Parts: sequence; structure tokens; C-alpha cells
Amino acid sequence: MTNIAELLETAGLTGRGGAAFSTAIKLKAAKENGAELIVNVCDGELGAAKDAWIVAHHLHELIEGAALVASGRRPRIRYAAHRGSRTAGLLATAGLPVLEVPHRYVSSEETALISLAQGGLARPMTKRAPFVFGGRDSQGRKVPPTVVLNAETVWRVSQIHRLGAEWFRSFGTSAEPGPRLVAVGGHVARPGMFEASAGVALTDLLDSAGGLPPNARHVGVGGLGGVVLTAAEAQSTIWDTPGMKRHGGALGPGIVTVWNPAECPIETAARMISYGAGESAGQCGPCMFGLPALAADWTDLARNPTGMGRDHLLLRLGQLERRGACAHPDGVARFAQSALRTLAPEFAAHANHACQKGRTQHAQFV
Amino acid sequence: MSGSALWYLSRATGVVTVVLLTIVVGLGIVTAGRRRPAGESATIVMGLHRWLSLGMLVFLGIHIVTAILDGYVPISWLAVIVPFTSGYDTLLVGFGTIALDLLVVVMVTSYLRHRIPERQWRVVHWASYAMWLVALFHGFLMGTADQAGLRAITLACAAIGGLMACWRVVATHSDKERRRTIDAQEWS
Repeated sequence: MTNIAELLETAGLTGRGGAAFSTAIKLKAAKENGAELIVNVCDGELGAAKDAWIVAHHLHELIEGAALVASGRRPRIRYAAHRGSRTAGLLATAGLPVLEVPHRYVSSEETALISLAQGGLARPMTKRAPFVFGGRDSQGRKVPPTVVLNAETVWRVSQIHRLGAEWFRSFGTSAEPGPRLVAVGGHVARPGMFEASAGVALTDLLDSAGGLPPNARHVGVGGLGGVVLTAAEAQSTIWDTPGMKRHGGALGPGIVTVWNPAECPIETAARMISYGAGESAGQCGPCMFGLPALAADWTDLARNPTGMGRDHLLLRLGQLERRGACAHPDGVARFAQSALRTLAPEFAAHANHACQKGRTQHAQFV
Repeated sequence: MSGSALWYLSRATGVVTVVLLTIVVGLGIVTAGRRRPAGESATIVMGLHRWLSLGMLVFLGIHIVTAILDGYVPISWLAVIVPFTSGYDTLLVGFGTIALDLLVVVMVTSYLRHRIPERQWRVVHWASYAMWLVALFHGFLMGTADQAGLRAITLACAAIGGLMACWRVVATHSDKERRRTIDAQEWS
């Protein structure tokens, strides 16, 4: 049998949960430490649906992939899915051990899943070192070596094992090889799951879902941890890391969402930021206080867009960067930063009391 | 100095000590409270707390020394540190002694605070409440019984200190409130 880690290294598989870390390196460490495996099937990001899609359509390959990845003679494998979800039901029906995750945004984060698996709360833990080496939680309790892999990553492992690294590399770019699942949703004619790869035009992704509607004005890429682009930007953007980096984003967990043009986009962003603030696990100050403060700043700026308010918001964003144990505050701050830039014309319209969008939803703002 | 001058001086410094002590305890409560001041005001409150306590020692020293030197009633030097050894009003002078002993412990630990574990310093510092209460009893029952004005001052000190202690217990911190709200959510 060929060494699976070497095979994955040749293929160039990276984590499909959004962090895009080399799966081969992760797997090597997992095998060396005899790590338990948690397959993350949560679709935790806003708009994500690929994990559920894999369970619904390729469960056998997922199980096969998990067996390839797991280490030891009697490996411990668990599938993390949201409690009561259809996916959790399918997994349980298939007789797989399901780690039931509460419906919280940060609960499907890697260390939150590990904490939950150890009988703790589904809240992120401080990563002094990757938990694949084992470690301790904040109370000093021992955490055995555990590796968390996204469901798509595990599925791709089985595909690479079956079809070879060559096949895998025939998709995508040389820097970012391999097929990728993308959920295209929101204000499109045929929302759904599509097989794509890095390097395609964002418009091609949108076309598979029925195209970008003519009245659409903004396109979100990557959900709450991602960015938002204007329709014009979306039409000229290549969906790969360099292309997304230009807008402050990344490939992320494969999510493209066309924003509803009937709603004021500032309000759409406000809703997302407020949701993010409400999902703080309350463990780090910059997150538990900073995010609600950010949401309040955003609402204030929407109501009264002044240069001073904008500066205040930017100052706040700077105070969130890299200041949480997990990346939740970073993700929300990145999104807010992107929305602030992209929605500059809308803020200007608000300053002139000229926002055209639906007076009813607007009542609370203007 | 004539005997009665010493006596008046002792009473006066005693009352001033109680007032200062109440202020110091109040400032301490504000610092320890869940809605404590931040930034510059925190520095001011903390500085006042420390320096007023030191200033209070001057009045307390005069109060004790004059009470003994006065000689009208027998209070031994030993009674300054060992409670309930005074010939005169053993119980109430003893209260004053206890308050002084507690004060010494609280202040010594505070000046050695950088050498003591925070937790132990804190436990000792809790004795300040007892010290303040005992000192009030000492002052109210003993010294100012025949003068309505002085008695009112002591009562006012008790009322203000008591209210602040209540605030200390009741007031919560936004940190704690938010944490409690989040803890109550579904996390497992």
C-alpha cells in the first residue's frame, strides 16, 4: 500500500474547511501521534452546504476516506454534525458515531469540536500547539491527540486514493490543485452545489446557478468569515487565492452568495455582523465586547454616516485583529472591513438620505 | 498642655480618624467594586485610597497617644496592642485596640503586597470591613455619646459606609453579566 500522506502531498490536497492547510502535513502528525479523528460535517459557515451534500450523495466515499485518514488498528472516528440536522440523521442511520454539535457559529470551529468531543462545551480552546499533538484545555485537563478534518477534505482523500494524484492535479491551478465544491446561493435562479476548482471566473460559478441576475448588486464570497464584492467586481474576479486576496478574501469553505437586491446591503451586512456578535462564546474580551461594539458602531454609521463614525469603526476593526483565541473576531472584522469598503456608495447615499431600498426594512435605521 | 486639652484633642482626632477611615474604606470599595473606575480616575481613586490611609495614621496616632497621656482614665500602653487589657472601659477600649491591630495587619500586608500572593493579600484586606465596623462601634459607644453633633458624624459615617458596602455587593460588572448571558446559551 502506498503511503497515503505521500500520495496527498503529491496531489497537493489542502483543508477544504477554509484554512487551506496542507492535509499531508496534518495527516503525518495525526498518524505519528495516533490521533483521534473528527470529521467536521457541520457546514458551520453562513451559506455552507457542501458537508451535508457529501453525506447525502457520497457517504460511502466519506467513510472510506475517514478509514484511510484514521490512525491505529482500532481508530476512533467521529462525525460532527449539528444536532437534529438531516445530516446527523443520515450519519446515525448509517450507524456512524455522531458528535452532536449545538447550532452555534463558533461551535463547529476545530478546537470547539475537540472540546465537545472531550465532554466539554462546544467553545473554542486556546491552541498553544495544534491539538493533533495532544494538549490541555483551559482548566488544565488533558486533551488526547485529535485531528479535525473537513468532510470535503476526507472525501477528496478517498477520491485521490482511488483515482490518483494525477487525476486530482488535472483540476484547478498548479498552486491550488483539485476539484472543489462550491455552494452558490442567495438571489440566484438555481441555488445549489457545484463542482468547481480554483482559477475559474466567479461569473462561471454564478452561471452554473443561473447567472448573476441583472438587478443583483453585491456578491458575498465565504460567508461571515469572507468578503463582499460589488456585482461589477464579481464579474471580473477569478476565484483563486490571488484573485480573492485582491479583495481581502480567500477561497474559504466554498461559498458564493448573491445578496438580495431588495434589501439595503448595509442592512444585510448589519444583520450578519450582529449575528456574528451574538455568536461569541464569551471567552475573549475583544470578541465578547468588541463584536457587539462593532455591530453597534455599524448601526450608528448606517444611521449617520460621518467620516468620524467611519474612523471610529476602522479603529474598532484594528482592535479586533488577531485578538481572539479562535479566528471568530478576525473573520467578522474582515467581513465588516470588506463591507465598509464595498458599500461606500451606499453609505454615501445614506448620508444624503437617498437610500432607495425598501422603506419598511429601513425604518429602524434612517 | 493641660489635661482637658489632651482629652479634647483625643476626641477630635478620634472623630477625624473615623471620618477619614470611612472615606478610605469607601474609596477601597469603589476600587474593588464591579463597576470600578478606569483610566485616570482609577489612578486618582487609588492614590487617594493609599495616601489618605497614610494620613489617617497621623490622626490615629495622636488620638491614641493623647488618650493615654491624658491620664484622667487609666489606659496602659499595653492596651494599645493587646485588646481588653485596659483598666478603663475594658470592652470599648478593646474595640479600638482590635481595630488598630487589624489596621496594622491590613497596612503591613498592603505595603508588602508585591511580595505576597494576590489572593492572600485580598483575604487579609477583607478584614478592613471588620476593622471599620469595630472602629465605628468604638467611636459611637465610647467617645461621642454626650455630644449630638459628634454622634451624628459617626452615624453618617456608618450610613455612608453601609450604603457603599451594599453597592459593592449588588453592583455587577458588564463582563460578568455578558459572560452569564452567554453561559446560559446552548453550548453542548
